[in-house]
Amino acid sequence: MISVEPGEVCVFAQYDRDLALEADVVVVGSGPTGAVAAKELTDAGKSVVLVEEGPPFVPAEYEIDGGLSMARTMREGGLRTTSGTIMPTMQAIALGGGSLVNSAICNRAPAFILDRWCTDFELERTTRADLEPHYEAVAKFVGISPTPENVLGRRNLLFRDGCNALGYHCEPIYRNVRGCRGSGECFTGCRSRAKQSMDISYIPAALRGGARVLTSVRIERVLTEGWRATGVVGRVVKPFTGNPSHQVRIRAKTVVLAAGCTATPVLLQKSGNLANRSGQVGENLQFHPGVAIMGIFPDPVYPRFGATQGYQSRHFLRDGLKLETLWAPPAITAVRLPGSGMALKNRLADIPYSAIWDGIATCNRSLGRVRARRRSLDPILSWKLHPADVPILTNALWILAQIFFAAGARTIVPGVHGIAPELHSLEEAEALRDRPLRATDLVLAGNHVFCTTRMHGDPRLGVVDEMGRCHDFENLYIADTGIFPQCPSVNPMWTAMALAHRSAHHIAQQG
Amino acid sequence: MVTASLLAIALGFAIARVTVGYPDPGRRHRGLARGEVALISSAAEAMYPAGGPIPSSGLDADLPGYLERLMAASRPQTRILLHLLFFVVEHGTLMFPTSGRGGMRRFSSQDVEHRVAALDGWAESKRFFRRVVFTSLRAVLTMGYFAHPPVVRRLGLAPLVIESPICEADLLYPRIGERPESIGLTAADLTAPSEGIPLPQDGPLHPGFAELRP
Repeated sequence: MISVEPGEVCVFAQYDRDLALEADVVVVGSGPTGAVAAKELTDAGKSVVLVEEGPPFVPAEYEIDGGLSMARTMREGGLRTTSGTIMPTMQAIALGGGSLVNSAICNRAPAFILDRWCTDFELERTTRADLEPHYEAVAKFVGISPTPENVLGRRNLLFRDGCNALGYHCEPIYRNVRGCRGSGECFTGCRSRAKQSMDISYIPAALRGGARVLTSVRIERVLTEGWRATGVVGRVVKPFTGNPSHQVRIRAKTVVLAAGCTATPVLLQKSGNLANRSGQVGENLQFHPGVAIMGIFPDPVYPRFGATQGYQSRHFLRDGLKLETLWAPPAITAVRLPGSGMALKNRLADIPYSAIWDGIATCNRSLGRVRARRRSLDPILSWKLHPADVPILTNALWILAQIFFAAGARTIVPGVHGIAPELHSLEEAEALRDRPLRATDLVLAGNHVFCTTRMHGDPRLGVVDEMGRCHDFENLYIADTGIFPQCPSVNPMWTAMALAHRSAHHIAQQG
Repeated sequence: MVTASLLAIALGFAIARVTVGYPDPGRRHRGLARGEVALISSAAEAMYPAGGPIPSSGLDADLPGYLERLMAASRPQTRILLHLLFFVVEHGTLMFPTSGRGGMRRFSSQDVEHRVAALDGWAESKRFFRRVVFTSLRAVLTMGYFAHPPVVRRLGLAPLVIESPICEADLLYPRIGERPESIGLTAADLTAPSEGIPLPQDGPLHPGFAELRP
């Protein structure tokens, strides 16, 4: 039996036999919520085991090529889609979870959204004021601050110019970054080590406090006795292939599931349909579906320079829209361009003159569910964009088109089926506003996922309470975006971390 | 008897269509069948012809080689999906032939004009499924095209050299597949964190993308 000492990280090459551990708390998943929970609980004097299915990535392992990077860092090679309305959606598999490969956007959930959560889901302590101390604690730890002007790059500044010209409120994006150099490489791993992803921030802090971290271990089942969780059991898995080997069993007084909104319900279902007296486990699946437009400007934009996502507008939040700038590895960016042959090559040549801006939408009518696949822990995601929500997305395209032309774009490439591949004026872009479009006409993406183990004050209608504790189990907690009762209308990471911070302190107080 | 004969002929035709007559790709591509190499090369040629604002063609970019690397880095389920994608495009001309003589031949056996027409047929189809197939094919080909250093250099999109500061995490995690003993760094090796100095636009290119000079 190998031993794992407090403060130690165990990696794939070290597992040579079955492993059994005991702890006060086992945390499943090392993304932004699991990492926060592990660190806070360790600081509170608990013995903590943090388990992650993916391996740790150091800069020498970062793959700059977008496709290869996704194949290595994303579940299902980055090719996961929903069924129903087909939409790509990604989940990372790495120590630090999505924080390794996201663009570090941090937004507090709007007060009116949190108020609605409290009203509609019978919550009493989840207003903005309730969460503020937790937001602040997280912000202080990972340095959440506005993107500095000197690393915005022209791509972000043009968005600001366009919004200003139209009188739309906009702002530099708050991010968990210290010392950004504007490399635009957030999605493939920050080589500047400026992004405070969990693997370089919260997890080292948890280790300093004595946490034990197991990487390359896939938890397959939650163990229970009566109405108490007693631990978890899983297998060591080989990085990139997922081939299972030795068994890992961890007994713990408290179990925290932070495996992600699509993985946690599958884990509960595979554990004998746990914590599901409400029937809500895996239900209510929501996304922030997003659409994007590429704009071509007369002068070079040098789009590879500048913060990946450095500017945003929350001007239309009450209309269900949040707008933001976007950059991705060039190969991923180029995938958006229409056509083939020489026409496509001519469009590729425009990339140095281009910027991409996107809108994410609040689509509370568009719901789905998560189910476990047979003989696999990968989820089946069924989700349908409600026809009544389609106009929110087409409105996003129309507003983005206005901002582009206000910023001086000569052409926009909307990427919408049934609309001309290139639009050269606002008048031409009115087709985006006027033509009735269907969900299948849009190129969608949805990487913010919510609500599959939602919190609700009424145990008959939700899986967890306000502290993330399962209504059905006194010591089983969930700490990922699955507990959101509805989508937050803005990027969810900071809110999820704040909720995990609150849950961790609640668990610590339970003794 | 007649039915059995017809079925046997159909089966023979199907086997021949899938397996016979593909050119020798010159070298073996691990994880890709000979027919898949032919499909990828022929689609690359149609999607990214030589000339124009970016001189490199899809053939120059060795897309079969890129797909080979992508397959090797992917999980088995992903590889199955990619094989299926190649099969659908290669033999989709049976269900969705291009106009003119030979429109039902395998995609990789058609001339360039027919291949471009076939791709446009997928891209502009009213059927959502066909558009998804096209988008998927174009995605993997485009990723491969952009992995070709001359392409990104030409567009000014090649990544720069970035010296990664050595931080606490580098003392904790070995490279994937290695043991902690391989880390070889101590607290004395820690360097100052990034000061937030913007990258110079004319900075040296990442070695993987720099132009080789004699």
